[in-house]
Amino acid sequence: MPRMACVDLPAFALQLLQRRRPDWREFPVAVVDSDRPQGLVLQVNQRARARRILPGMRYGAALALARDLRAAAVPQDEVDRAVAALVRRLGYFTPHVEPASNEPGVFWLDASGLEMLHDSLGQWAGLIRTELKREHYAPSIAVGFGRFGTYAIARARHGVTVLQRPQDECRATRNAPLDRLGIEPATRDALARLGVSTVGALVDLPVEEIAKRFGPELQRLHRQATGALDLPVQPTQPETPAMERLWFDHPESDVPRLIVAIERSLGPVLRMLGERRQAATELLVGFRFESTGDHLETVRPAEPTLDPVLLLDLVRLRLEALRKLPDRVVELILIGRGVAATTEQMRLFQERPRRDLAAASRALARVRAGLGDAAVVRAELREGHLPEGSFTWEPLERIGEAKPRENAEGTLVRRLYTRPRPLPPRPRLEPDGWLPRGIADGPVVRVTGPFVVSGGWWQREVHREYLFAETQRGELLWIFYDRMRRRWFQQGSVE
Amino acid sequence: METACPTPMETVPVPMISDDFVDRVSKDDLYFTMSLDPHTGLCPLFCKSNFSFLEGASHPAELCETAAALGYEALALTDRDGVYGIVEAWVEAKNQGVRLIAGSEVTIDDGTSIVLLAATREGWSSLCRLITAGRLRSPKGESRVSWPEVAAHAAGLIALWGGERSLLAGEVEPFFVAHELREAFGDRLYAMLTRHRQADEPRREARLKRRAERFGLPTLAATEVLYHKPARRPLQDVLTCIRHRTTLARAGRRIRPNAEHALKPPHLLAMLFEDEPSALARTREVAARCTFTLDELRYRYPAERLPDGSTPAGWLRELTLIGARGRYDGTPPADVTAQLERELALIDELDYGGYFLTMHEIVRFCRERGILCQGRGSAANSTVCYCLGITAVDPVRLGLLFERFLSRERAEPPDIDLDIEHERREEVIQHVYAKYGRSHAAMVANFIRYRARSAVRDVGKVLGLPETALDRLSKLLSHYGGMEEETFLQAGFDPEHPTHAHLLRLAGEILDFPRHLSIHPGGFLLGHEPVAEVVPIENGSMPERTVIQWDKDCLEELGLFKVDLLGLGALHQLHLGFDLLAAHHGVKLDMASIPAEDPATYEQISRGDTVGVFQIESRAQMAMLPRLRPRTYYDLVIEVSIVRPGPITGGMVHPYLRRRAGEEPVLYPHPSLEPVLAKTLGVPLFQEQVIRLAVVAADYTPGEADQLRRDMAAWRRSGRIERHRERLVARMEAKGIARASSPNASSSRSAASASTAFPKATPQASR
Repeated sequence: MPRMACVDLPAFALQLLQRRRPDWREFPVAVVDSDRPQGLVLQVNQRARARRILPGMRYGAALALARDLRAAAVPQDEVDRAVAALVRRLGYFTPHVEPASNEPGVFWLDASGLEMLHDSLGQWAGLIRTELKREHYAPSIAVGFGRFGTYAIARARHGVTVLQRPQDECRATRNAPLDRLGIEPATRDALARLGVSTVGALVDLPVEEIAKRFGPELQRLHRQATGALDLPVQPTQPETPAMERLWFDHPESDVPRLIVAIERSLGPVLRMLGERRQAATELLVGFRFESTGDHLETVRPAEPTLDPVLLLDLVRLRLEALRKLPDRVVELILIGRGVAATTEQMRLFQERPRRDLAAASRALARVRAGLGDAAVVRAELREGHLPEGSFTWEPLERIGEAKPRENAEGTLVRRLYTRPRPLPPRPRLEPDGWLPRGIADGPVVRVTGPFVVSGGWWQREVHREYLFAETQRGELLWIFYDRMRRRWFQQGSVE
Repeated sequence: METACPTPMETVPVPMISDDFVDRVSKDDLYFTMSLDPHTGLCPLFCKSNFSFLEGASHPAELCETAAALGYEALALTDRDGVYGIVEAWVEAKNQGVRLIAGSEVTIDDGTSIVLLAATREGWSSLCRLITAGRLRSPKGESRVSWPEVAAHAAGLIALWGGERSLLAGEVEPFFVAHELREAFGDRLYAMLTRHRQADEPRREARLKRRAERFGLPTLAATEVLYHKPARRPLQDVLTCIRHRTTLARAGRRIRPNAEHALKPPHLLAMLFEDEPSALARTREVAARCTFTLDELRYRYPAERLPDGSTPAGWLRELTLIGARGRYDGTPPADVTAQLERELALIDELDYGGYFLTMHEIVRFCRERGILCQGRGSAANSTVCYCLGITAVDPVRLGLLFERFLSRERAEPPDIDLDIEHERREEVIQHVYAKYGRSHAAMVANFIRYRARSAVRDVGKVLGLPETALDRLSKLLSHYGGMEEETFLQAGFDPEHPTHAHLLRLAGEILDFPRHLSIHPGGFLLGHEPVAEVVPIENGSMPERTVIQWDKDCLEELGLFKVDLLGLGALHQLHLGFDLLAAHHGVKLDMASIPAEDPATYEQISRGDTVGVFQIESRAQMAMLPRLRPRTYYDLVIEVSIVRPGPITGGMVHPYLRRRAGEEPVLYPHPSLEPVLAKTLGVPLFQEQVIRLAVVAADYTPGEADQLRRDMAAWRRSGRIERHRERLVARMEAKGIARASSPNASSSRSAASASTAFPKATPQASR
């Protein structure tokens, strides 16, 4: 008979918060929906509950009850990441793991046949519990036969519960209190007034009346409890990548031969993408070397494409740039990533402007393929006062229309060094004048400044005094005195 | 990376820029103590205080104090679109011997600005009217005027056109505006060069100079001062972030690039503009042209409509005597008549008759409309107010001091607070607007200032700290207390952590900074001339309300009259009670006919059964009532006065109760104090007693005694009460009054703690 287990991590967000802030264990703790005084309390620990802080309160009201209350929001992406990690972790114990779609922290595990690998399912469940406790979770686990039964029992009982017979599960499920099943408080209270406080009492009610009086949510719970909606475990199915692997009987070190091998594998990868009605946005080429480990290269076309020639051209550029492989390749992996292909993509090049932006993009893609992804970037202005903080380099995926500004006044051009270059200290006595770059450039004859940039006191204080210094040779240096480091630097030059 | 270089080359002597120079100008201690002689006469003409809300990072007084320390003879305060801080600056400038130039940076509707200085009294009126025009048409907190309006208000003003937000240095040449301003201002229009060691300034300055030459404008040197010392720069960054509702990490170019907006010593100002000596010298010229001071504000209270041939004093006398006959059954006693003569003579001498007539008119309006109202506060010490029906307490019968209300030595305008049943107060306010007109009546402002809790919340948010943690901390802080490191620790903050240390320091610095303008609960400024000639008016957040840019402290400093119309819920409850009594029992009562000594009422009060009873409904009052067991009206006066922070922290409650119960003999620290303390069994409970104690025991002069009264009134904000302690103790000991001969004999302690005690008239007038 198929066996199923439910792992429940109650108040999952609170558990995540307590893992994140172990120093809060001695305090009342609450999870709030947003980090502000008006934030709603979602979950609380026992210490908070003892101070009469309950879910549904505003944070400000809760704080009035416990001045030492600690609270924070747990973002959804943190929850999602934790659920994904737990699915992977539970995957060590069973091949089929299903996270609950609408209740983070609840997982169903397929336990069928695992008693053959372990002394008993109890021991198997115990191993899971130990592992999760080691990760600082507080789980309760029920091993039984049905989806709802294991869920209700895991919710109702602490620790590990193993049910040997379906009848035992049925009995235990009927005794499970309804207030543990996360139903609406108003519905729960209305049922309690009718004397319905357990699952057994609920399933004894006629389902039609439940739908009429309490709505579809409770009707759904009723149907789950009666087993009408029972399903076997629906394990998470990882998406199979469009991938080809190639093993070399004789490890390969010749780049042209590797390119030929890639060409052979590229066809099937693109076919797989095409079958999914996708076009490749990215091609990952993985190398497993004989002794130096693994390496992954990524090439990206200018537009999503299924054209093998274009992709192979980019791969060739990338590999030819390597000149020589560091080691012999024993395995080659080709992975294609794509997006849904659109008909618009086919019309892109029908009207060609005078400046062929698509051609430019293709050229940039070739440059990227030849020199690496970081080779094509553009400067994006940022709101910073320091020269190096006033822009950032961003990868340039597509090139856009140029919109040059008209500039009536004559301008000079500043060139900025990647890192400011240290200059020698300025001596107190300068018989030959100030020589910031040595005797070869001659002394400084004129300066403009200082222009002061200071700030960052809340993080790392900066205080620079900038000068434009003209040397006897006519060079215009852009230099600054860093007061915090008490040194002179050259930021760049002016042309 | 290539960018356009905005810096045209200029020649500066090379030796000026050295490591030594860089270090020398940075030292704060040197910054304030260098010799200033060669640069006397220079004047900072573009200074913004923290009354440029969330921009300036120093109090006006700090700017004046620093200006004096640096040797400046004059300083201009030019807050953004307002003159909110000018009175505070004026008071401190007088103390420091610095001449204050009044002005404002006015925002134009094209987003630029111009600095306007009041050269004369006419200029001050022009400035106030211009700001009023801009404020009244804009949403709260904003102001916009047009260039034609600036030109139309040019009389008596000096314009400094320049700075970061100036049109003159902008991208587009302001040809028409420049000609319009030059026509209007003539030789009182200057092109202002501002330097803050920013890389983009030389380009703007070159443009400004070019245009100044073309339009024939003389140049003038200035820096935009936002704080009095460089150490306030972090706070200025924080204020900027609060204004833009962002954090420091995200603020980017919204915060200033350096700390060059401090009030510079004259020699550094001279060094900054050493290539522009004529522009620098013009600061002297402009300062000399600005002769206006706030002392020139002459205020005339609105003349009432008087019967033909009557003067305000004569009409007031007639109304008072009519009222006195009503109060005393047709024949006022001799002592009352004598007191009335004394008060009326003083009122006439000080020319305050109009004010009393206005209060009488408002009370009359309330009576006609059936609106309950009651004067309170020090006005209860005036027999004239009692006879005019403004107050309900007979000061002669209760032996109250008239001098506390009005005195020749103090030369302060009278302050009558009128409580009005809160449901109908708006009717009275609109009546005042209608009677005097919106141009002649405006409500008094109230500056909402940073307290510990709001400081922690706003500064913490700017530093990027979690709001929930800040909320936890702010709830541990008291409303009016400071920043205690212990509280920070208790809230889970670590003062050693850099960000938490910044929070602790900056939240302490921002305390008492004005954050925004609010409306005083009921204060009105009324004027014979339009109020906007004296102070700018702006919109309040409530509809149909206009508010001036000064609060009650400013009015007090300037000696301006204020009419207080305060809402009181208890009066409305009484009104409802009177109506019910009339409807159900046929008993017609009013404020004057409520029985004063009703034993059944006192019995109920003595049981502490006082829920909903004004003044004695708090838990503390209810707990005290069974112990004090009031039996007379005066007992209630003491009851209300004794449950106050002053008597409680001063350890006066228990001695009084023991003496009242006969468990302890009534002792006086010195025989000379017996007349002062006899009524309260040797324990000082009222502010009046503290003042008289200071006069009798510590030989306070009338001026000192009045200062003590003011400092007691402002104890929360200023902490000035502390300075009286040593003076009191020293003088008392010199007169042989022991420091601690009995629990309450430590009179210095009594005086300090009684700062939070009631004026005697307050509970009485609440009757």
